[in-house]
Amino acid sequence: MGRKPGSPKEKAAVAGRFARLWQWTAWPSSLSHRNRLCLAGVFFVVPALIHLVVFKFYPLLEAFRLSFYRYDLMSPPTFAGLANYKSLWENPLFHQSFWVSVKYMFGVSIAEWFLALGLALLLNRAMAGRSLIRLAYFFPIAMSQIVVAMVWKFMYHPHGLVNIILEFFGVDRINWLSTEETALPSLIAIGIWRGIPLFGVIYLAGLQAIPKDYYEAAMIDGAGVFQRFIHITIPLLLPTILFVMVISLLSAVKVFLNPLVMTEGGPNGTTRVLPYFIYETGFAYFRMGEAAAASVVLFVLVFGLTLILLRLLRRGDVQ
Amino acid sequence: MNTKAWLRWGGWGITLLTILGIGVTLLPYFWMVSSSLKTGAEVFELPIRWIPQEIQWVNYPDALSRGSFGTYFSNSFIVAVAVTASNVLFCSLAGYGLAKFRFPFRDLSFQLILCTLMLPLEIVLVPTFLVVQQFGMVNSYGGLIVPLAVDAFGIFLMRQFIRDLPDSLIEAARLDGCSEFGIFWRIILPNCKPALGALALLSFRDNWDQFLWPFVVAASDALKTFPLGLAQMEGIDSAAYHEIMALAVMGMVPMAILFLCFQRAFVRGIALSGLKE
Repeated sequence: MGRKPGSPKEKAAVAGRFARLWQWTAWPSSLSHRNRLCLAGVFFVVPALIHLVVFKFYPLLEAFRLSFYRYDLMSPPTFAGLANYKSLWENPLFHQSFWVSVKYMFGVSIAEWFLALGLALLLNRAMAGRSLIRLAYFFPIAMSQIVVAMVWKFMYHPHGLVNIILEFFGVDRINWLSTEETALPSLIAIGIWRGIPLFGVIYLAGLQAIPKDYYEAAMIDGAGVFQRFIHITIPLLLPTILFVMVISLLSAVKVFLNPLVMTEGGPNGTTRVLPYFIYETGFAYFRMGEAAAASVVLFVLVFGLTLILLRLLRRGDVQ
Repeated sequence: MNTKAWLRWGGWGITLLTILGIGVTLLPYFWMVSSSLKTGAEVFELPIRWIPQEIQWVNYPDALSRGSFGTYFSNSFIVAVAVTASNVLFCSLAGYGLAKFRFPFRDLSFQLILCTLMLPLEIVLVPTFLVVQQFGMVNSYGGLIVPLAVDAFGIFLMRQFIRDLPDSLIEAARLDGCSEFGIFWRIILPNCKPALGALALLSFRDNWDQFLWPFVVAASDALKTFPLGLAQMEGIDSAAYHEIMALAVMGMVPMAILFLCFQRAFVRGIALSGLKE
């Protein structure tokens, strides 16, 4: 706060502080109250910061560096220039994988944006047994991914519950996870089903933060349900909506377990999302450089999308 | 139709929708429990049998004997507890530092920490593995736990909560001669129990569930976590759905108990994360 980081004044101040830090090690009492507080703050933050530098930022830089090398874990890495990117570009499996990821990401998150908002609006109403109803809807938040993957694989079985229920309505039996057209939509359906309660909770918190007087004032002015929704709920909920958009995209792009244990990326690569592609390239074919290059592409995709949405979030805040 | 009738029908429609939604939400879990208590033949039997004819408790010990599930469960527990403990400690420390102190590059540090939310393990998988390899921690508990030990989300959550605590609380302790760490330990921590509880629960859930990282870093059977064990068993015998479901139920039980006991803390944690700056 206050001074801009990076300005000459700030730099001089930092240098001064380091000098005083040196003094402080010799004569503890010579450190002023303000500087002691400053140092205490740094000490509180540093452990976490070091961890994140070692296990997040350094790996990110390392991914960039490694993407220009050929490396198989056995022999030392050799510089390869843009060869990894070139072979990705020429690899139809990578193109397929990229688009599978994009489809999955938007397929899951766009549905979540609307359905979770619907759930939150539903749960925000006064009704009998509301806390019990909320308990039922929020229960899945606590459930493990692996449990979800197993039970859905079982339900998508050709003789499983999904087909049994559909047969009741006269739909023919489908082999959901082994048919090219249905495998990805099946996984998307699980993603949506799992995400709705989670984002419903976030929306619900946003809805409850809107002051009741706004609605009362609007009702006195004769605004209907729909008008109140458009003119009060949506604008005041906008920051929450954008937050949900960012988080849902980020959590959808990293799906890995479901494609691995339910379809193994198949049939014919139709569910091989980018994280799966990265895993396979790196740890099954030991082409670490190429896997790193694919990671860089995935990072650029995520970073770009987040940046766009955060821009929107800023704008939403200003209004 | 007049407005009153519309409202009544609308109300019924919403009630119906609510019940239908609960059905869709909970049916898979019900089906899982029900199938885990059936015989292998009964699982796919038609017409559909919602409640097993004869409850097959034997599925549970049978399923457990299909792998060293005792080890897998205890590994999951060790990883989840260790990661949760370190998350709670380091995230609350950092959250306090970011919320209540002024030091150079504070806001930049906070922004950088938030940026790591865009760097899930799925993206930095290969280089993180190489870092852990350099530390010689592949195929060890250290390798399973240390890379997950601090999560930016936790720092964000703690900072948001601590920022709303009154400064006077800290000033008073400082005037009384309390050390800076003493203030954190004796004043800050006891005052942010709700946030700590929420963070601990969410962290425990996420790490009870760890799949990708143990999948890459745990080579030996003795280090496998429950999700890995279950996926492995399913890969070997994917027809034994009654036993797979029994294992899934066992994996679900600890989280279900935690959720039912601390439902409010769960919901609060997720809601806190959604509150804007």
